[in-house]
Amino acid sequence: MTDIPTLYELSVPGRPGTSLPDCDVPPAPLPDDLVRADNGLPELSEPEVVRHYLHLSQRNYGVDGGFYPLGSCTMKYNPKINERLARLPGFAGLHPLQDEASAQGALELMHRLQEALKRIGGFAGMTLQPAAGAQGELTALLMIRAWHANRGEPGRDVILIPDSAHGTNPASATMAGFVAVEVPSDGRGNVDIEAVSAACDDRLAGIMLTNPTTLGLFEERIDEVAALVHAAGGLVYGDGANMNALTGIARPGDLGVDLMHFNLHKTFATPHGGGGPGSGPVGASAALAPYLPGPVVEMDGDGRYRLETPARSIGRMCAFHGNFGMLVRAYASIAGHGDSGLKANAMAAVLNANYLRVKLRDRYPVPFDRTCMHEFVCEGRPDGTRARALDVSKRLMDYGFHPPTNYFPLIVPEALMIEPTETETLATLDAFVAAMLAIADEARDRPDLLHDAPHTTPVRRLDEVRAARELRVAEPGDPE
Amino acid sequence: MRIGFLINPIAGMGGRVGLKGTDGLADEAARLGAVPVAPGRAVEALRHLRDSLDDPAAIEWLTCAGTMGADVLRAAGFDAVRVVHATAAIPSRDDTVAAVEAFVAAGAGLVLFCGGDGTARDVASVVGEATPMLGIPAGVKMFSGVFGVTPAGTAEVVRDWLAGTLPLATVDVLDLDEERYRAGELAMRLSCRARTPFEPTRTQTAKALVVESSDAEVKAAIADYLGEEIAARPDTLFLLGPGSTVQAVAEALGLDKTLLGVDALLAGRLIGRDLDESAILALLARNPDARLIVSPIGAQGFVLGRGNLQISPEAIRRIGTGNIVVVATPAKLKRTAALRFDTGDAALDAELAGRGYLPVIVGYRRHRLTPVAG
Repeated sequence: MTDIPTLYELSVPGRPGTSLPDCDVPPAPLPDDLVRADNGLPELSEPEVVRHYLHLSQRNYGVDGGFYPLGSCTMKYNPKINERLARLPGFAGLHPLQDEASAQGALELMHRLQEALKRIGGFAGMTLQPAAGAQGELTALLMIRAWHANRGEPGRDVILIPDSAHGTNPASATMAGFVAVEVPSDGRGNVDIEAVSAACDDRLAGIMLTNPTTLGLFEERIDEVAALVHAAGGLVYGDGANMNALTGIARPGDLGVDLMHFNLHKTFATPHGGGGPGSGPVGASAALAPYLPGPVVEMDGDGRYRLETPARSIGRMCAFHGNFGMLVRAYASIAGHGDSGLKANAMAAVLNANYLRVKLRDRYPVPFDRTCMHEFVCEGRPDGTRARALDVSKRLMDYGFHPPTNYFPLIVPEALMIEPTETETLATLDAFVAAMLAIADEARDRPDLLHDAPHTTPVRRLDEVRAARELRVAEPGDPE
Repeated sequence: MRIGFLINPIAGMGGRVGLKGTDGLADEAARLGAVPVAPGRAVEALRHLRDSLDDPAAIEWLTCAGTMGADVLRAAGFDAVRVVHATAAIPSRDDTVAAVEAFVAAGAGLVLFCGGDGTARDVASVVGEATPMLGIPAGVKMFSGVFGVTPAGTAEVVRDWLAGTLPLATVDVLDLDEERYRAGELAMRLSCRARTPFEPTRTQTAKALVVESSDAEVKAAIADYLGEEIAARPDTLFLLGPGSTVQAVAEALGLDKTLLGVDALLAGRLIGRDLDESAILALLARNPDARLIVSPIGAQGFVLGRGNLQISPEAIRRIGTGNIVVVATPAKLKRTAALRFDTGDAALDAELAGRGYLPVIVGYRRHRLTPVAG
């Protein structure tokens, strides 16, 4: 497949792309320092520009184009009605400095979302401010710090983190001034409760638990872990990245979790990826709610909404009120599904993942092979061949599928982390299984096919090592 | 069953006096005040073996006269002892070689020895991969794969092997050049291969030499973290253990630390280098608030008792087991299933093992809880 030329390469001097009406006012000169002879913009006709961008978009692979089983990331379909609602002029045109009285509708939506997330997670308080899941982690950790300091125990500086955790967990803990202590997993993929027990002392500030874990497994002894940590004076932070599996079925607040962030894109179908705006609301137990970042939305007795900063607030986590457009989409998703719909989503996500796990496990070993939640981790070495997870991933592209997450979590060698989400049909899942099994056959019979894959994409396999070692950043106009 | 048994009576003597091995230096070790450690460890192992066997008399021991074997076996309560080698007045490696040759000629099914890597090398030079061998750990360094993890653990391996429940594994016998080691260079070569009864939790694996250069960034991060901790405690004595990990951390802190010695740091300054046990104890007497920074031996997991015998049980008790700071790169720790302590003081080892897990510093403000083998 040929490269798509850039707009600069397509540019022809003097070719018009616009047609302006005749000037009907006297011309006025621009200030001299704003005028230049060469503005550096390409000159093209409108259809050339449209075709250029259409061709680029056709080379993209997104969830609107096909199955995207990227474990841990939850690439589920984003319903278009949510997009339409977020674009309503009353929401999209709102200014963040507008007076409360003139923004009652937006505040009501935020309040309704706060209340819905509190009910789904089992929490007493909720902030919508964090602009991403990882910022939600940081928010919660700063609250944990403030809580201990307020109780006269500022020396509590240890945060326990299972070795299967997302990499953001230790990063957030360190950023919040804690010492991150990694806890090994046991043979069933749960956190090693003996190790947690050994670390429970007067330096313990809390534990960060992802439930379900990044292995896609329910943390079976979460109540015991929470009891241990609480007895030692620590707090339990839930990484809610995997709430997709629990919504409507179990509430982290009921399982002993004091604080948790939601990833609205993972659980409530807001757009994901591409570096777009994220949103990571944080829920808190009654004891921790006074430490939430401010302001949160409160409702007065007369049904008016206002912004209020909690009594012991850690302050703001961002300017204004978070990524408001994402809040609109998430509320639309929650309201659209209702209680029964949210529960059905979680059950379908779990059923789909288990279906794939059982269909694939005879060819792709599953190291922690028990009923999984919304995702599972297998080894990308089919039938003990020498194929690697990277080879299987690249070959999947030739079959028209986005690869699963690979090489994460770190505790599984050659990991492939597969998450189908609830939005896929049985026919899609079967097509994916057929491709994976065909690749397992190829790994045995024609390993070169895997090693050289992908074969049908615009760009063949990239030399990732060389790309990382010989970094070249070019800007328009740079010499080759 | 015939078992050949010999002990290198001077093994391990160089450790506490900071000699990093006793090859060619037994006299100097004795002059520095070192006392024999191997006989005690051998008796501990043999008593444990005798107590754990239903019929201790079923073993027919082939051994050397006097301090190189028979004395120790009798002290442990074994009477069926056949002396097949008359030990020279001053035992040497020639005695080891001749004794093992006699064991093999007399039909030994296993050679049990007590010593360190040097003794292992001498035994292996005779038995090769023909007759299995197993070592009671008593040397300064035990990087080879033929040693039990502790004297009692070695006894349990013998017991299970006699019961026929253990397979034989082919392992590496590693040979460290002690002359170069004393000069600060960790030069190790594969001496030969040997066969040994293998039980993964009681037989130590051969040291995996960690490729340290690729971990430079991690060590810099560990150094940043430790640097903050050290700066925050100007009145605390920090003892820096041997090994390339601790040395790299010290280097990042601008300290010229010896690779294989124990150095002392107070208020940001090195106040002692390559210390022996008595110098460490003297410093601890003046500075009771102390912390020990050590790194486990890769793969084997030994934190204390291998290559750092100058940090004696008494020194560890004075420092306090809660003040042992263990550091390791994540890559090294990944190959290390559990931390091990073999200080020579069973009660102290048990106290450390009783903690279950120790946090090992693996990065800037990052620890990993790592199990301690019991």
